[in-house]
Amino acid sequence: MRQVWLISGPPGCGKTNWILSEIKKHGGSCGYIRLSGFSEKSLEQANSSEIDFVFLKDQIPQLIDLSKSSDHLFSDQDNSLIFIELSQFYLPNQSGLAGIDPRIISQLENLKLLPDQYLHFGRDTELSIKDTLDFTKIESLSLNLQENVWDPPSLNTFWFELVNGAYGDVYRAKALLNIPDGRSMYFNWIVSQPGSQFLQLNDIAPPKGRPQRISQLVIQGRNLEFTRIKSTINLCLINDSVLEMHQASLSNQQLAATH
Amino acid sequence: MKQAVISCLHANLPAVQAVLNDIDRQGIDTITCLGDLVGYGPHPNEVVDLIKEREIPTCQGCWDEDVVDGLDACDCSYPSQLAERRGHLAHKWTTEKLTNENKDFLASLPTSIRRDKLLFVHGSPNSQHEYLLPDMDAFAALERVEMAGAETLFCGHTHLPYVRELGQGSIRVTLKNTPNKQTEEKEMNLPMRRIINAGSVGEPRHGGSKATYVIFDDKTNKIDIKEVSYDIDRTCKAIIEAGLPPIFAWRLNHGFEFAELAEDASHVCER
Repeated sequence: MRQVWLISGPPGCGKTNWILSEIKKHGGSCGYIRLSGFSEKSLEQANSSEIDFVFLKDQIPQLIDLSKSSDHLFSDQDNSLIFIELSQFYLPNQSGLAGIDPRIISQLENLKLLPDQYLHFGRDTELSIKDTLDFTKIESLSLNLQENVWDPPSLNTFWFELVNGAYGDVYRAKALLNIPDGRSMYFNWIVSQPGSQFLQLNDIAPPKGRPQRISQLVIQGRNLEFTRIKSTINLCLINDSVLEMHQASLSNQQLAATH
Repeated sequence: MKQAVISCLHANLPAVQAVLNDIDRQGIDTITCLGDLVGYGPHPNEVVDLIKEREIPTCQGCWDEDVVDGLDACDCSYPSQLAERRGHLAHKWTTEKLTNENKDFLASLPTSIRRDKLLFVHGSPNSQHEYLLPDMDAFAALERVEMAGAETLFCGHTHLPYVRELGQGSIRVTLKNTPNKQTEEKEMNLPMRRIINAGSVGEPRHGGSKATYVIFDDKTNKIDIKEVSYDIDRTCKAIIEAGLPPIFAWRLNHGFEFAELAEDASHVCER
């Protein structure tokens, strides 16, 4: 029987990682969709839906993207599990399904996905609450970096500066970023936890031209210096000739390895 | 006699003033500077003027060389594209601000200063651009000191102060074509050599924000690595007002142990 779960919580509480662990435990097919939620007074939502889905899909290749279509999906007889991830700053005012934000219900009806279970980080004990922060003000910056490739040591420096407050008080940063050897790196950081999570995606792009896959950076915090962030990123991105040089060197190495 | 060694002033006047005051309070008259008077900081002329006024013997640092010769070192000395581009911004700004008189002064500086068995350099005896890191290969470290004919080598450039003692060193050689036509093995034991890195006055990267320098007592051979507080806010404010990259102020203010070193720190540019 198909199950639909709505999982909500504030930024950085661990929604995506919790969903990943549940999908891994589940034996049958799984679907996923992320709803962007609503910005509240002085609390601005970030659009990180593509990062989350690409990350989950890389870990679970058979995962179905419900943002594209739900028509072909699971019948009620399927042993399927659907996760709807929702970024929500505030605690639901009622327990269980009754606590779902009415604005979300209409979206769910349009998607023909009515939850059987609703869990919110900070409300429901099934979910860990150790990382749930109570934000009072938050600004968001979402940058589309598709086709851009980073100089790896520069990326290392930029990320260090970013999460240590060089461009404002960052609470949350998440990214999928390309490096010259064709790898896409997943970066995940939250102010309440020590260190950053770095993960190399399994999917590696061929070293030819600029990568066409999703690449995004999402930053949430206070007093963010958007202009300085963007200008520093520009200093870190490599130009066509440098990229060609990297890719030619990589191709030569691959050629030598095959002979 | 006690003597003070300072390095990597990087156009940070409040830090230089604080360190010189600290040295003066101890009644130390002999001061040697290991270069990098300019670069990154907002007070290049003021720092050069102060060193000239105090008549402090000074070696030429990599920044002092590049600012005069126009980026003599190739970009291989930068650890990242970001560091390179920021470095170029600071280089351009400094070149524009420095007076011709002060450029001439930097150009006139020697690459090393020798006092008996003490040798003073910016990076290494080979180059102002070479990093002698505290954990570099012991043989290579010993080679740098021994080949320069020194017992104690004072250097800077890494911005990390340290004292490294190189004891029980020996050189073994195989002699061929000897008069008796036989191969001979010879071994020579070396007395202890030392490398003393003075850290940085103007841009510390040792994990704290205080300026660092060293005091050496040639009677007792005792080395003291000193840390001195200074008005960091004044320097940071001047960096922002000067239009230099604000990240320089942020790094200075936080004193992160974040040395931007090239992948191969011992690489010496030969361009």
